[in-house]
Amino acid sequence: MKKLLEIALGIVTSVGGFLEIGSITTAAQAGAEFSLQLIWAIVLGGLCVIFLVEQSGRFAAVSGRTIPDAIRERFGSNYFLSLYVVLGIVCLLVLGAELGGVCIALELATGIGFQWWGLPAAFIVWLVIWKGTFGVIEKGVSLLGLITLCFVVGAWLVHPQWPQVVQGALPSLPQHDSSRYWFIAVSIMGASISPYLFFFYSSGAIEDEWNESYIQINRVISTAGMTFGSLISIAVLILAAVLLLPKGVRLDHYQQLPLLLTPIFGKWGFWLLVASIGIACLGAAMEITLQIAYLTAQGFGWNWSENQHPSAEARFSFTYSITIILASLIVIVGIDPLKLTVFTMAITAATLPVSIVPFLFLMNDPSYVRVYRNGWFSNSIVLLIVGIAFLLAVVTIPLQIFGGS
Amino acid sequence: MDLIRDCLDKKVIDKDDRPMGRVDGIIIEIDGDGPPRVAWIELGVSTIAGRFSLRLGRLVKRLSQHLPDKGEPYRIPWNKLRIGLNEVEANLEAEKTPALEWELWFRKKIIGRIPGA
Repeated sequence: MKKLLEIALGIVTSVGGFLEIGSITTAAQAGAEFSLQLIWAIVLGGLCVIFLVEQSGRFAAVSGRTIPDAIRERFGSNYFLSLYVVLGIVCLLVLGAELGGVCIALELATGIGFQWWGLPAAFIVWLVIWKGTFGVIEKGVSLLGLITLCFVVGAWLVHPQWPQVVQGALPSLPQHDSSRYWFIAVSIMGASISPYLFFFYSSGAIEDEWNESYIQINRVISTAGMTFGSLISIAVLILAAVLLLPKGVRLDHYQQLPLLLTPIFGKWGFWLLVASIGIACLGAAMEITLQIAYLTAQGFGWNWSENQHPSAEARFSFTYSITIILASLIVIVGIDPLKLTVFTMAITAATLPVSIVPFLFLMNDPSYVRVYRNGWFSNSIVLLIVGIAFLLAVVTIPLQIFGGS
Repeated sequence: MDLIRDCLDKKVIDKDDRPMGRVDGIIIEIDGDGPPRVAWIELGVSTIAGRFSLRLGRLVKRLSQHLPDKGEPYRIPWNKLRIGLNEVEANLEAEKTPALEWELWFRKKIIGRIPGA
């Protein structure tokens, strides 16, 4: 019974914590410009992330280590330093985008420009991490994130052409603006397969003291959580396809975001959207802030845990504090959060191989995962993910020049 | 034992399982005509930087002159160590060694001064 509850809570928090500014923006742009045709990119990204999250949980449960910990040990300090710099910069940019998402919600709610909210939003993120435990961040904020299910209700109420939805789940070639089409596909993949997500998941498994008995639980949570989470992204895409495309709204400004829900729920739709974006981005911002601190502490062998008092792990606490300050500067200087999001999702896609390739080695090393190594199927999927990641990296840069916004 | 595989980059813990850092370097001593002997392990940012590039290591050391540890790596004698499967255990008390100098500095000067720490 206790395990069933744990599974249920795990799935619910995965679903509640799935959506963030990257997945909302890229899915909405895809729907607004290419109708239901790009659902396949969400499906493919979701499939990749199911396998990656399952594997990172299994890795932590069996080896008792997090991924950065093992990467440092297995590949040495030079590789770790390179990964640290690349992933650190990317995560900081993504954090800037998420914090920007919180600020967009606050601007929509109050009418005060988003950059003015940079510091207050950063302070809220910092305060919850400073005072809260891992459970508060993982479960509390993610449970609030269930409000994003309003997109699913909305998508159901707009009565999309379901045969077309199914058809969109299969890859197809674009009928117009091909460079833009592939760029959005790349951005969707970058938003789905975020390294911070599965790195954070492995840290969470250690924080929650998982062991081998959690392997099945992990499998169910990661599969169900990421599948249902992807469905919310698909719902956003459907809403944009049905409501924005016919009006010719291309979603090139974040003030157009409420149009995703107001035609269905009226004034309530506006507030549902504000709350959804605010909470989803707040949760993601906390996770990324912590992830940067985890990456640093685990790689350099410091004491780390979100469950201890800040002074018991001063370097860890200092790292997340300085991280959130740096990210708030990105917002304060006034970089458009929507443009920053699209850019960072493409950059994420371009840097995926740096973290996924060593992860593949670890998942096949019996000295870490013993008999719980990847099977041929898991390996093939991860190889496919690595292949996709390389492909994404190759196409992202020219697409950023010719097809990006 | 394979020094690189079994020791280098592993986590170092003290006798109370408190993390001290990682094995950032291994010092081998050659004394006269005798065989080389593993003498110390080193913990420190300048050691990791030096493994990346000697120039970077020297730069980090120079920039750290005015910082709490003066950029000097901390050395633990080999005979104080037990190489475990997952960690390297040092027969020491972490807080009484320079390994936690930075941790204590941040605690005292910055984090400890913030309400709720």
